[in-house]
Amino acid sequence: MSGPDDALERAREAAAAKRRRGGYSGLNEGADALDPTILGEKAPATLLSEWAVIEIEPALLYSTRRGGAPVTALKRLLMRLLRQYFVELEARQTRFNLGALAAISEIEQRMNRLEREAAAGSEPE
Amino acid sequence: MTVVHQAVVGAGPYDAVSEQSRAWRRLLSGDGIAGGDYAGQVDHGARDHFHRLERFSAAADDLIVIRYSAWSHALARLLELPNPKLLVYHNITPPGYLWNHSPGLAVQCAVGRMQLPAFARGARVTTADSEFNAGELYAAGAESVRVVPVLFEAGRLAPRGHAPEGDGPLVLVVGRLVPNKRHDRVFDAFAAYQRECEPDARLLCVGTALNPGYAALMQTLADASGARDVRLAGGLAQDEVNAAYAEADVLLTLSEHEGFCVPLLEAFHFGVPVVAAPAGAVPGVAGHAALYTDGDAAVTAELIDLAVTDTELRAELERRGRERLEHFAYEHTAKSVREAVGEALA
Repeated sequence: MSGPDDALERAREAAAAKRRRGGYSGLNEGADALDPTILGEKAPATLLSEWAVIEIEPALLYSTRRGGAPVTALKRLLMRLLRQYFVELEARQTRFNLGALAAISEIEQRMNRLEREAAAGSEPE
Repeated sequence: MTVVHQAVVGAGPYDAVSEQSRAWRRLLSGDGIAGGDYAGQVDHGARDHFHRLERFSAAADDLIVIRYSAWSHALARLLELPNPKLLVYHNITPPGYLWNHSPGLAVQCAVGRMQLPAFARGARVTTADSEFNAGELYAAGAESVRVVPVLFEAGRLAPRGHAPEGDGPLVLVVGRLVPNKRHDRVFDAFAAYQRECEPDARLLCVGTALNPGYAALMQTLADASGARDVRLAGGLAQDEVNAAYAEADVLLTLSEHEGFCVPLLEAFHFGVPVVAAPAGAVPGVAGHAALYTDGDAAVTAELIDLAVTDTELRAELERRGRERLEHFAYEHTAKSVREAVGEALA
């Protein structure tokens, strides 16, 4: 009987048989394309530096309504009119982010140095 | 008079959390229970049902049902009210999926997961819609969690819109275009299926995209996979989704993180075989009624082929699907909802 319980095994055998005949060649070349964009619990430091600089693309401003193109256009026009304000806002936020990031980096370096010194001091002579 | 209000972070026309709010409201109204449904953000298509949370007001003994799927200030403020509260945990997407694609939503999810213990503590009754979600609540410190599954209303699946165009086998994917749903793997598996098994196959992906940028990225990946006849349809009206299910030969879900996955039940309702990745709540909801892949795109392609061509297998999957539907039958779940609400009001 061809049931669901052995379907995975049958599928594996069929895939293996086709691969032996040269099938499924080139498969997985584009697989898992999203993997590099999926982060774990903590973002890497290189990305944090990138994120610290705030620069919002106008393309991110849009309307979610059906037939919302005129609303999108209006929002983008308003953003252009308020550009002077937004540039100042972005600059101030970026200033703080970079300052905070530098401070964290300095603390991390000090902590590493202290840990190394503590480890060296505790070693038997 | 008994009054039960519901609150969600955001309400839209198609999403599962909003749909559950409406389903609970219909049940509660039928039981003579009054109340309103509120959302922090209300999309245009949901304004007929939801009020803005900033206008929320309640008498001191009204019950507040908090549907938790992300964090918001407005939702957190409800915890400070003296009212009895019932928490429904719908799961929160791990923010790692979202940081690169939607930073604002990622923040809501990151804070949401951090604040889950506070919401669990603040509720008189704590519920989750799947065992998987209940596990996350226990891990967050909840002492007792009721599993109250999704209230599945089969009636909304009756109206039929236009069937999708084309003649080849239809592989259907239902779910938002968001990173954890792994549409990239769907495109690769479908391309493999089309190349090796069924050149005339069609792929239809139903679901709104996270944002226009992510929709464009998915279109690029679909094109790069080499697959033909791929349609990213966006959000469709219920009758159009029903027509797609009625036409579909298989439902494919390769999601990596799922709190429940309502499309599984919808596929069972239409007798459509399911090929799935065994992630999150999927095995708990689908049980033995789905074909589970091991993640190899070639194996997924062969499973799709089996599900499309093996009539004996299809019949057995359909039978098992009906069994799962009985497990999630409306009256069973309605009883669980009434018990949870009753306990919270006691």
